[in-house]
Amino acid sequence: MAEKLRRKKKKSLQEREDRMGYLFVLPWIIGVLLFVLIPLGQSFYYMWFNIRITPLETKFIPVGTGNFTQIWLENPEFPQQLVTYIWQTIVEVPIIVVFALLIAMMLNGKIKAKGFFRLIFFLPVIIVSGPVMNMLVSEGASNIPAMNTQVVINAMDTFLPYSVARSIGDLFGNMIMILWYSGVQILIFLSALQKVDPSLYEAAKMDGGSGWECFWKITLPTIKNFILLNAVYTVIFMSGNEQNSLIVMIKNAMFSGTKEKGYGYASAMAWMYAIVVTLIVLLFFLLLGSKKDVYDRIAAKRRRALKKEERNLEKVRRRNARNVRRLEKARKSSRYKTYDGHGDY
Amino acid sequence: MKRNKITAMLLAVAMTASLLTGCGSKAASSGAGESTSADGVTSENITLTYWHYEDETTVGLLAEAFMKKYPNIKVECKQIADMSTDLSAAAAAGTFPDVFSGTDSDTALANMYWADITEYVENDPDMDNMMVSIKNYGIGKFDTDRWWGLPTWYQPSAVFIDRNVIKKLNLEMPRTDWTWDEMIQLIKDATVDDRSGMKYYGLGFYNRLDSLYGIAACATAERAIKGEFGFDGNDFDLSYWAIGEQEFGDLQTGGYVAPKQDTQAMEDWSGDWGTWFGATGHVAVFSEGFWSYQNLWGTDGYQEQYGLDIVPYVTPNVVDEKDHNIIANMYIGGVSTSCKHPYEAYLLLKFMGIGTDGWKARLDIYENEENTNASGVALKHANMPVPMTLDEEVWTRYKAMFPTDEDHKQYWDDYFASITRPVPYGWYSIAGYWNFCDQYFNKIGIHDLVDAGTAKAADYAAEATEQANYYHAEAMISYFGPNGYDVLSEEDLAKYQAVVDSFGQ
Repeated sequence: MAEKLRRKKKKSLQEREDRMGYLFVLPWIIGVLLFVLIPLGQSFYYMWFNIRITPLETKFIPVGTGNFTQIWLENPEFPQQLVTYIWQTIVEVPIIVVFALLIAMMLNGKIKAKGFFRLIFFLPVIIVSGPVMNMLVSEGASNIPAMNTQVVINAMDTFLPYSVARSIGDLFGNMIMILWYSGVQILIFLSALQKVDPSLYEAAKMDGGSGWECFWKITLPTIKNFILLNAVYTVIFMSGNEQNSLIVMIKNAMFSGTKEKGYGYASAMAWMYAIVVTLIVLLFFLLLGSKKDVYDRIAAKRRRALKKEERNLEKVRRRNARNVRRLEKARKSSRYKTYDGHGDY
Repeated sequence: MKRNKITAMLLAVAMTASLLTGCGSKAASSGAGESTSADGVTSENITLTYWHYEDETTVGLLAEAFMKKYPNIKVECKQIADMSTDLSAAAAAGTFPDVFSGTDSDTALANMYWADITEYVENDPDMDNMMVSIKNYGIGKFDTDRWWGLPTWYQPSAVFIDRNVIKKLNLEMPRTDWTWDEMIQLIKDATVDDRSGMKYYGLGFYNRLDSLYGIAACATAERAIKGEFGFDGNDFDLSYWAIGEQEFGDLQTGGYVAPKQDTQAMEDWSGDWGTWFGATGHVAVFSEGFWSYQNLWGTDGYQEQYGLDIVPYVTPNVVDEKDHNIIANMYIGGVSTSCKHPYEAYLLLKFMGIGTDGWKARLDIYENEENTNASGVALKHANMPVPMTLDEEVWTRYKAMFPTDEDHKQYWDDYFASITRPVPYGWYSIAGYWNFCDQYFNKIGIHDLVDAGTAKAADYAAEATEQANYYHAEAMISYFGPNGYDVLSEEDLAKYQAVVDSFGQ
């Protein structure tokens, strides 16, 4: 009886804790439901229609794949911008991640006013967002005036496709923007760097490992998963912020008064764009997430060898046991005589 | 433990609540129940919303004047930042304004924002006293037999001449009822580069001359042009536009046109990248917006500072016709289809724009120079429009706000007499015009090609005419056909359908 009561109490405690857990994640669940899943379903539905929102009613005129053909055949800007976006993302994401890692390592070192410098690098994330960012960009604050990016573009245009050359040129033009985009990534790397066990460095140092070797053989393998996290975060951030011309194009199409555009047209555009973004995320996942580092590979190889050895030993053990059983059987049936050490064999 | 749980619960509830903040929508405001007074205006307390593009302070004061006239009607105003974005968001959220004035009529018609106000317009005695082109051409009817909107804000295109430049160059001032060719000749004569100082240019422009030429291109007897690109109410003829476009392109390549602000050419000419040609004292003729005078040249001390003596001239016509149309900026406003009090909304629309009463209230505001906007500018210098009513009292008071000294008065009187036949730019008054420009005309980059001398406008005229007619016909079917307002007759539908069907064949 007492056992039953104790179990019941334990169960209700578990239930209460579960309830608290659900309560904590409730805002997130509501957020995802209201602002992700429902709009996602809505936009998937909308993209098959031409939608006209009058003050009195919303008219849904089915157009099948009409929105898609309209976008690809009559809106030359969309494919152009899409190609530019793909190149820009593929080129800029690694640079932002590497830059963030370098800054994070510097900020993690033994420097004076560490907290102040950390604040400085994170400040753009807090204050330079949305309209403030747009205002600064329109005023040319994201450019370095002394840098002539056209020269860079022209130089690279001679041996690279124009869109690639343009993306790299834009990179130089948007150097300050890249710095601004790195705040969150720096923070993630900082927390990752602080999680690395200091005894590893101590051990490496005692074995004569240099700082360079420690970086490649301890730091990088340890924070490897955070590199992927930051790459994915950067792709998503670059794909969805207000400086992205495709986002502006989709937003303009959504609120466009022209009869061909509107919510349906914008939804079709957004879905195609979302697929491209997903593919880019997958690309970075394949590049950064699938490969194991050299130590993992050696350990896995050793584990495989040990398993193989164990299997062989097991095989030998079983064969021996089988042979013993056979001999015993033969001996019992007197087919064999065991030599007792006397006389001739 | 218990306190922690309560804190956690409160936190979760607060987060959920903050997440949902902003999801709510303000219900559309309107009064309930109807009882009307003798003049047909409701006696209930109601609220009307008015969205506009004008100076906020001016409209706020006008709204106050309207509320004084109709104490039971409360008016809430909002300045539109972007017409299609603001209105489509409002339509989706159910907070659509009762009355709005816009710049892009295609958006309003494609989404059936405007209600039919024919009954009110045609029974309104005030409409008889309006500038003739408004009623004759049905500006706001969009080539149907119904009224969907009315002009709310009007400023004509204007040609200005700097008399000081003409004097310095020993040229004669042209007659005020000049013709197109006389203007072109003056531009050429006033372009002087004697290499001894800053070059004199014949023309400085904000409005391209082809925009002016598009409706000034021929005698009314030849073609009754009532819109841009040679539009006569049925179809376009861009061969007229092509002549003006080419002429303007030739002036540019010939070096008769002053450099634009913020260009290297401007820096080379004036020594300052940011100079505006209108402040150099080295340009004779200006193709400008009317606001350039009001907001700059007409302000105290501006002309003295730059050594200018600016007078207005009528936008000339190709033939020597005294009464001819002129191109104009004219916002079109309408009562929304969701409005619960359409008649009161119509009165508000008229008061804010075309109506004589509204104009008298405007003049009270403009005449008092202590009325300034948020930037501290006197409201008469903040894009003050031109009256569309022909009411004598209004015009007397309006003219008094412009130079009345003996030396300038005649120029202004002649100018004001010449602007009574406004024709709006296409995007205000022609269905499908915006789509035509957005999806075809602007994309071929014809202006740049002709200005650079790499293409002839005439080569594009036939194709552009076919495109313009197609976009117009398609828009007419879409907006006013069975899927839209459904007010076109079978005959009209067949006519527009024939244009659409023949397109590209």
